[in-house]
Amino acid sequence: MLPALVRKTWRDDRRALLGWTVGLAAFTGIYTSFYPQFQGAAQLKQDALPKGMLDFLGIADMLSPTGYLQATIFSLIGPLLVLMGAITLTARTIARPEEDGGMELLLASPVSRLAFAGQRLAATGTAVTVIAAVPWLLLMVIVPAIGIDVALSNVAAAGAGLVALAWCFTGVAFLAGAATGRRTTVLAVTGALAVATYMANAIGGMVDGWHWLRWLSPFHYFIGTDPLNTGWHPAALLTLVAVGAVTTLAGLILFDRRDIGV
Amino acid sequence: MTSDLAVLTEDLTKFYGDHRGLEGLNLEVGAGEVMGFLGPNGAGKTTTIRLLLDFLRPTQGRATVLGLDPRRDKAALHRQIGYLPGELAFPGRDTAADLLRFFGDARGGVAWSRVTELAGRLEVDLSRPVRAMSKGNKQKVGLIQAFMHQPALLILDEPTSGLDPLMQQEFLGMVRDARSAGQTVFMSSHVLAEVQQVADRVAIVRAGRLAAVERVESLGRRAVRAVEIHFHDPVDPRAFSALPGVSDVVVSGPVLRCTVDGRLDALIKAAARHEVVDLLSAEPDLEETFLSFYYHSEGADDASRARP
Repeated sequence: MLPALVRKTWRDDRRALLGWTVGLAAFTGIYTSFYPQFQGAAQLKQDALPKGMLDFLGIADMLSPTGYLQATIFSLIGPLLVLMGAITLTARTIARPEEDGGMELLLASPVSRLAFAGQRLAATGTAVTVIAAVPWLLLMVIVPAIGIDVALSNVAAAGAGLVALAWCFTGVAFLAGAATGRRTTVLAVTGALAVATYMANAIGGMVDGWHWLRWLSPFHYFIGTDPLNTGWHPAALLTLVAVGAVTTLAGLILFDRRDIGV
Repeated sequence: MTSDLAVLTEDLTKFYGDHRGLEGLNLEVGAGEVMGFLGPNGAGKTTTIRLLLDFLRPTQGRATVLGLDPRRDKAALHRQIGYLPGELAFPGRDTAADLLRFFGDARGGVAWSRVTELAGRLEVDLSRPVRAMSKGNKQKVGLIQAFMHQPALLILDEPTSGLDPLMQQEFLGMVRDARSAGQTVFMSSHVLAEVQQVADRVAIVRAGRLAAVERVESLGRRAVRAVEIHFHDPVDPRAFSALPGVSDVVVSGPVLRCTVDGRLDALIKAAARHEVVDLLSAEPDLEETFLSFYYHSEGADDASRARP
């Protein structure tokens, strides 16, 4: 049987998990299901927005099937929703209970500090994975069902990229919470980092001479490889996972060393 | 050496930056003993408790709990500890029953009959969400989770706060039962009276330092109490101010107020020569009278240094 702390974490997070899952499913479903009807509107949007704006929003073209999927699901709103869910859920592993005082009784569980933080993160990491995988799983059904002409393997690669991106920022959020125990720090640091790296990827792609900037951005490893057209890029995905793993490890070490609830 | 000690602290010190939480605490709590841990708010009681639980790491010195190291042996140690936090907050939105099931599972399983027995004793309805409960009922749930797995050591931070007098008595009964079962109880309080009823010994901290460790029997004699006697007729203060242990005598008409250190016998016998309408004897306020007893002589400026 799973550790009591893992089950407790899931039970306390179930509303948030359900909310984010339903929200992302609705977002994915509604946008893609109306693919045929959106075609005319997409043309209008494409014509109305200047090229620079389209590039900044990560929209190559909205007319091709891959361009449409990229523009609607994977460029901005999809990652935004997934990361918001991931960051707020991860803020609950340590920072929130530490601030509202519930930590005292949780931490009194007969497990080591490391096991405590590990079990909390394992539970939340599972929840984050579920949320981040919603677009992937839904698209695997919707794309063939309504005949969007994109290889399923490529859809899977982009969907997996979204999961890897979520893991990356979950690691960062966990580190911020484990190190400081402050919820606002988790939200501010991780949120600011997400926005900054998104901009870095966008600017790096647009401005000559700033190309190198993209290599610093998780968003580049997620979508800069153009998985919808070119399929799987294991090295890029592993880079995201590695960042998540390293930040998680750092978080565990710092949590094990500091005073709790000061 | 530590086998008969439930808690041993050696020069246990905690600074939060420049601010002193606790300094140089040397304390021994014997196995099977009930020890009261007294002191005014901010004296370092909660800091001590959180050091014992490894929520805080000492700046200096060390603690040994049940012969184990709080940090290295946290998992094994916490299985044998029942902890009631001073600032009680429960994680999640569960009902009390679900929450207690979690605590039971986390500690390797607790017989549910044990939980219902405690709930019955404290008269709390476990089917309600803990968040919606009154402070008193939350405190009861907190007590149940601390006692439910019959731990070798109970660490209770202000256990009676929020409980009505009847439930305070019930709680003291639970502490007595725990002692009978061989459990050790380390409970903090700022109310002398409740500790006095159950504790074997009392440790007093003030301004981050241990002021005294006393057996409870010797405390009773020292307890200073405020006494007010209403006579039928005006009385002469001089007849009372000379009595042993009686001081601060103020008489306004037929009402006499004074403080008595130790036994009331002399005062009562003197009062009995007059017609007594009413007699009030108030528990000493720990912070003002009892602790000042220990600190009039030494380091009275400690308090001002403690919180810069």
